[in-house]
Amino acid sequence: MPGAPVLDEIKIVIEDIGKGGGKEPPSGGDGGGDGGKHGRPGPPSPRRYYTGIALGIVSILMFFMALASAYLVQRATSSRWVPVHLPVILWANTMILLASSATMEQARKRLSRADVSGFRTLWLATTMLGLAFLAGQLVAWRLLVAQGIYVSTNQGSSFFYIFTAVHGVHLLGGISALIYVARRNFETAKVSLSIAAEVTSYYWHFMDGLWLFLLALLYLGK
Amino acid sequence: MVTSDSSGTAPETPARGFLGRTFFNTDHKVIGLNYLWLALISVFLGMVLSLLMRIHLAWPGAHLPFVSRLANTPEHYGALAMLHGSLMIFIVLTAAPQAGFGNYFLPLQMGARKMAFPTLNLLSFWATAASLLGITTAFFLPAESGLKLWVVSVALFCVASLLNALNFSVTAIDLRTKGMTLPRMPLTAWAWFLTAILSSLIFSILLAACALLLSDRVVGTHFFTAPQALMGSMPYSAPQRIPFLWQRLFWFFAQAEVYVAMLPCLGITSHLLSTFARKPVWALRAVVLALGGVGLFGFCIWGYHMFESGLNPHVPLVFASLAESLGLPAVILLVSWLGTLWKGKIQLTTAMLFAIGFISLFISGGLSGLFLARHDLALVSVSDEFVTGHFHLVMGVAATFAILGALFFWFPKMFGRRLNETLGKLHFWLTFAGVYCVFMPMHWLGLIAHSRPAGGNPLAAAVAGATVRNFITGATIVTIAAQGIFLFNFLWSIWWGAKDNEKNPWRATTLEWSTASPPPFDNFGAAEPVVHRGAYEYGVSDSAEDFVPQHRAPACPERNEGVLL
Repeated sequence: MPGAPVLDEIKIVIEDIGKGGGKEPPSGGDGGGDGGKHGRPGPPSPRRYYTGIALGIVSILMFFMALASAYLVQRATSSRWVPVHLPVILWANTMILLASSATMEQARKRLSRADVSGFRTLWLATTMLGLAFLAGQLVAWRLLVAQGIYVSTNQGSSFFYIFTAVHGVHLLGGISALIYVARRNFETAKVSLSIAAEVTSYYWHFMDGLWLFLLALLYLGK
Repeated sequence: MVTSDSSGTAPETPARGFLGRTFFNTDHKVIGLNYLWLALISVFLGMVLSLLMRIHLAWPGAHLPFVSRLANTPEHYGALAMLHGSLMIFIVLTAAPQAGFGNYFLPLQMGARKMAFPTLNLLSFWATAASLLGITTAFFLPAESGLKLWVVSVALFCVASLLNALNFSVTAIDLRTKGMTLPRMPLTAWAWFLTAILSSLIFSILLAACALLLSDRVVGTHFFTAPQALMGSMPYSAPQRIPFLWQRLFWFFAQAEVYVAMLPCLGITSHLLSTFARKPVWALRAVVLALGGVGLFGFCIWGYHMFESGLNPHVPLVFASLAESLGLPAVILLVSWLGTLWKGKIQLTTAMLFAIGFISLFISGGLSGLFLARHDLALVSVSDEFVTGHFHLVMGVAATFAILGALFFWFPKMFGRRLNETLGKLHFWLTFAGVYCVFMPMHWLGLIAHSRPAGGNPLAAAVAGATVRNFITGATIVTIAAQGIFLFNFLWSIWWGAKDNEKNPWRATTLEWSTASPPPFDNFGAAEPVVHRGAYEYGVSDSAEDFVPQHRAPACPERNEGVLL
């Protein structure tokens, strides 16, 4: 999970800033006998954060695929499927979320050039855009409620609310990770800022792509 | 063992205070033991429930002291069955072999000092404990609120299992010590790893199903039930088709869940057989592939539970063939077990007896599974009790035998004492005979129920059924009483058992036996374990003993390294 407050064991590698993300982490177990060149034995490589986020993403993807398959089955078999007319604000929200991914990549680019203050500004902008997206989703709910479409009105509306709600909850996890990375003092932490930022960015972009998928599902479901 | 400069390792201090040492400890060994305690409580609770069910079946009018409030209504019988199933499947069969023994021994066998994410690990444990509490409390609440609580508890268990699976996979992938290549991993570790991957896929599905179910119950959506307003106007068949969505989601999880419970047990069995037959695992790589095959097929055969659920008529054929192809890895495992035993110097310790008992139950349960995998046969010839017997033999009891075998095997490592072997063997034989007496007649009951319309006197069949049922109830009482021997042996041995501070009492090869019993807080002390060879080097003739532990360096490392890889 992103930003899990478990980041220990690894000695601080704050100097790592400037080398940009851990694309080539030190070899772990697979390396067999040649992993012991560096003096210290033991401290596990930061690779576990990458593995962890990758496996976490697979699990979350399965969760959403189960919901999506339920949606497709219900739509195909229900004789009285009532589609939901998507509120227009969803398109604006989508643009906001896409923009947040862009600012996040810009932030990481700044970080790789050792421009920490630039990183912090853009990182904050990403967090704000994420919160704006969630606020926009709430507005979309209010708009539907104003039309008299509630979660239990029909199956289409139920799926709309469920999709947006569970995506929102997962995105809230991403926002917590963003805030965690921004506020954590990485000089005393045991993982470098660039690794934390990179791992968080994977989750964030995944949430972004997931939203596009859900939106396409709901839009084509009309 | 190569001792490297360990000054860089952060100084670790064990947690202090009773709560810090027990319930809020992020040490994987403490968490693993806590899972085992949860499982122990649940398994005895679950057994009492099954006893209540059997008593209701044999003497429907009986009023039992203390539990008379659980009157003999069908609803209460259903609630008993549900609580029994939830406790046994989730907290015992899923949590004990994987989260319990896996937590304790996966890092030890990998040569790691911790799990990949220790705090997350503690969180999973607490979610599991809360889920156990919720599932049990739900039983005593009124039906409506009880079911809500049950769904929330199961969802919580899904989250716990997902976090646990994440932790296990990352530990197995990234925290292996120097020299612990994938081919050198013990089969137990392989099984825990593969189970973690399978869990991380299927518990998401159950979580999604629980989310939809909860939203049906709390905010009034209609994912699984037909809307009341539409019921009248719909054609008759339409509302009937809706629950199939639940069936599909549920069986996608539940069929694979069987293998989540079984995979660690298969790994443990291979491991125990090799250790106590003093022979390498026969066809080791094929066994690893077979374990992977069990996981893969197990993930793909969800559809064969839905022969009657309105799928395309050709679909069951696909799933039935997939289900039967599960026989392939099963046969590979079986042949490897027998090949390992063949001409081995077999030591019939209690742990070994339970491993061999596992094979027996696996074969018996597997054979009745062949009937069920043929959907045409299953539809016409057997009824629920056949399925109950099959399922309990192959999943419930077989897995329990593997868990007990693992407990007898690892007890000296966990507590520095031994379980009493005499009591252990007595417990084994009573349980072994008992479970066959309980579950074999259930197969007959299932067949009797369907033989009635084909001719013969229905009354005679019913009478025969009643006799068999009473026999099963009697056998259940005896078998459950025999578990008292185990409980006594276990609790007594923890505190007063024969001391055994030897590092390696079973003369086994894997890394957990290279450290003290019980292992220190950081698992291996100052020395970093280094692995030089595979996990099953038994029966080695040119060694002083008949085995070579994984951490022993070869005499000429340069020459042998390439060969041993």
